Amino acid sequence: MSGLALQPRPVPGPVPAWAFPAGTPGRVPAGPATLRCDLPGRRLAAVRLVLHAGAGREPSGLDGVATLAARTLLEGTEPGGGTALTAAFERLGASLYAHADLTALRIALDVPTTRLGAALDLFSSVVRRPALDDSDVRRLVRERLEEIAQEDADPGSRAMRELRAVLFPAEARAARPTGGTRDSIGALQGADVRGFYGSVVPAEATAVVAGDLSGVDADGALSAALEDWAGTGGPLPAADRIMPESAARIVVVDRPGSVQTYLSFGHGVPDRSHHDWPSLMVASHVLGGGLTSRLNAVLREEKGYTYGMRAGLLRMRHCGLFIAQGAVHTEVTADAVADALTELRGVVSRGIDAEEHGSSVRALADRAPAEYETARSVAAELADTSANGLGADYPSAYLAAVRASTPDGVAHAYRKHVDPEALTVIAVGDAAQIREPLENLGYATVTVTSKED
Amino acid sequence: MAEQPLHEHTLGNGLRVVVCEDHFVPLAAVNIWYGVGSRHERAGRTGLAHLFEHLMFQGSANVAEGEHAALLESAGAAFNASTSFERTNYYETVPVSHLELALWLEADRMGTLPAALTQANLDNQRDVVKNERRQRYDNQPYGTAFELLCALTFPEGHPYAHTPIGSMDDLDATTLEDCTDFFATWYAPGNAVLSVVGDVDPEKTLEAVERYFGGLPAGPEKPQSRPGELGPLTGVRGEAVDEEVPSPAYFAMFALPTDGGDDVEAAELAVEILGGGSGSRLYDRMVRRDEIATEVWAGVTRLASGPSLAIVDAIGPDPDKIAAVLDEELRRFAAEGPSGDETARATAQAERGFLEQTETVTGLANALSQNATQFGDPARVFTAPGRAAAVTGDAIKEMAGRWLAPGGRTALTYGGTS
Repeated sequence: MSGLALQPRPVPGPVPAWAFPAGTPGRVPAGPATLRCDLPGRRLAAVRLVLHAGAGREPSGLDGVATLAARTLLEGTEPGGGTALTAAFERLGASLYAHADLTALRIALDVPTTRLGAALDLFSSVVRRPALDDSDVRRLVRERLEEIAQEDADPGSRAMRELRAVLFPAEARAARPTGGTRDSIGALQGADVRGFYGSVVPAEATAVVAGDLSGVDADGALSAALEDWAGTGGPLPAADRIMPESAARIVVVDRPGSVQTYLSFGHGVPDRSHHDWPSLMVASHVLGGGLTSRLNAVLREEKGYTYGMRAGLLRMRHCGLFIAQGAVHTEVTADAVADALTELRGVVSRGIDAEEHGSSVRALADRAPAEYETARSVAAELADTSANGLGADYPSAYLAAVRASTPDGVAHAYRKHVDPEALTVIAVGDAAQIREPLENLGYATVTVTSKED
Repeated sequence: MAEQPLHEHTLGNGLRVVVCEDHFVPLAAVNIWYGVGSRHERAGRTGLAHLFEHLMFQGSANVAEGEHAALLESAGAAFNASTSFERTNYYETVPVSHLELALWLEADRMGTLPAALTQANLDNQRDVVKNERRQRYDNQPYGTAFELLCALTFPEGHPYAHTPIGSMDDLDATTLEDCTDFFATWYAPGNAVLSVVGDVDPEKTLEAVERYFGGLPAGPEKPQSRPGELGPLTGVRGEAVDEEVPSPAYFAMFALPTDGGDDVEAAELAVEILGGGSGSRLYDRMVRRDEIATEVWAGVTRLASGPSLAIVDAIGPDPDKIAAVLDEELRRFAAEGPSGDETARATAQAERGFLEQTETVTGLANALSQNATQFGDPARVFTAPGRAAAVTGDAIKEMAGRWLAPGGRTALTYGGTS
């Protein structure tokens, strides 16, 4: 390589300090708590309203009504309004989304800061006076039924559905799909959706607004949008707190002809308020946080079994789930499970060394400025901490705890909360090809279920 | 409305550099576009540009295997790469303290990648890429639709007839020599643009770029690319896909004008008005009013040295019915054009899209590299909202009639009655 002149590798200085943006708390009179977060330079404002009306609080027999309520909200304030509401937001360059998870029903508005006031006026009418019309509910039920079919055909989402169904006892809401089943959705009516949404208690909700709010009376605009909003129904049932039950099991979801097997290894862990949560996040990152993580070093970079594995914690209000997952070539399924189990056991048997601990801590903590660069991501995180009862200072406290963790402390937390001999393993793939090799591993009894069940 | 001043410079070896200050967060985004993608691959070696992208993470003369990712991960960096028809893009967003390390890493692989290339690395990443193909396309319902539509839309052997992921056979056939040749042909400083956006001092950054990249040799002249033109499609070329899917569906592809002129701005707004989101004509007609589909979506992939492409996809029990209603709506749109309100809404949405794309240092750096690579002018990114706002309803109508005419497309049907 003639003419090539390279420089020595530079040694970086310390990473500059950065703090998670602070919010200013407030409250709409007799209405939601508010958090205002001024982010200079962010010309796209984000409003996030979280309602304590997640799928966890659905009345018995109405699985999916929270999801359906979220979708029907977007249909507007007039029965048969068609595209009128969407068009009104589009005219402002704004967009409105809503969805429900187990914890909350979340409504999201993104709009250029210059038109925040006008968009909040529209937002107000959606929240306070939604039509939730029978004909819209009927059509959205049909669309949701189709979506269930699509989700079940997708290996990753089918694996997640099975993992929850197996990890949680059947009576737990978390055992069943957040968006409902074919049977539960098919039976939902407009009155169910109106009854559910009417039971929302505005004073339990939190509204977050973030963006470059200089010259904008954001508190005033939020108050104007959400005052005089009243619930009409009786209280929703309290969410159950039934915990996942970890045990060694392998469940094959049969997907004949699959060229890959989607693998998911799951175990229950405490919720985010537990002091071990930051350490469990670090342990998950060591295992499956990036290209150099233990699972990827072996299954991807050494053996080429997969495009990539990842490990992380799923947040629920009353617990968390440790999940390691990825898709592997069908013919190496059992070998990949064996290798993954070796790595998942390795944190217990050989601990975590200082270098990989430091690397994972920096990866989690030092990426925060990029992770929370937009008003959308800041507002969503603040709204989520509120929905989970964690308080606006949680993101900062979490980052500090990640930095303060130690290699031994992280290994200890993993050992305490994740038993590698009691993992639930879901394998969505071709049962005819993978069942026997999985049985031969001797890890756990293998059961087979059909894709549609 | 060039709001943030850009600092541009071209090194002696041809590397074009763009620097933009953004001091809101202590980050630096580093983004390189190489002017090579799947359209430059030769027959029998489809997928090579993307496979090569993977090899760029396997080490170089002064970076050990796995070290590139290890250094960036332990800096809290967000990093990745992507390969499309026309370019390959490498990027990392790092704490600004790590800017020079990021530049050094990029320079080392731009200058010395083959020094670390081994048969073992090639074999391993070939397996990884084949699993990527399985995961993203082969094992997903409708996963190969885009690939099949490109093969229908373009004549065999046309640069855009195959997609970046490539075929399993061609991936298997790729040799180490193919990879070193590919590097020697395309990975020259003169075929690259480097953008840096963030909490940086422009002069010091340009000095650092000169220091790390200035010593790389210029490399050979870039080969002449094959022409990529394709006019509006005539007739409907269709294919029934025999694949197990959860529901019948209809996918269509239309050719649109090449990116860079006024006509593509109007054509993209036309597609948005037709099928962009739940306020669009196709959604309102097919999903909300006629209930012949449970989902319909349309979007545009802009291409700069071939036709841009519009895709319409709809899920519903009767694909023939969907096709007939699509024709009806296209005919009506071409005859009437958009309403003033539809044009205003599409323009306002384009403005929000611009803000979303450019509000992060990562997004702005990518947009600068793109506009410098494809149009020779990074500042063009800031004119995007203005270009959309300048489009008239008449222009949209004209583009719809020319490029989105009924009966002029390629199409796939999954399941259904026919």
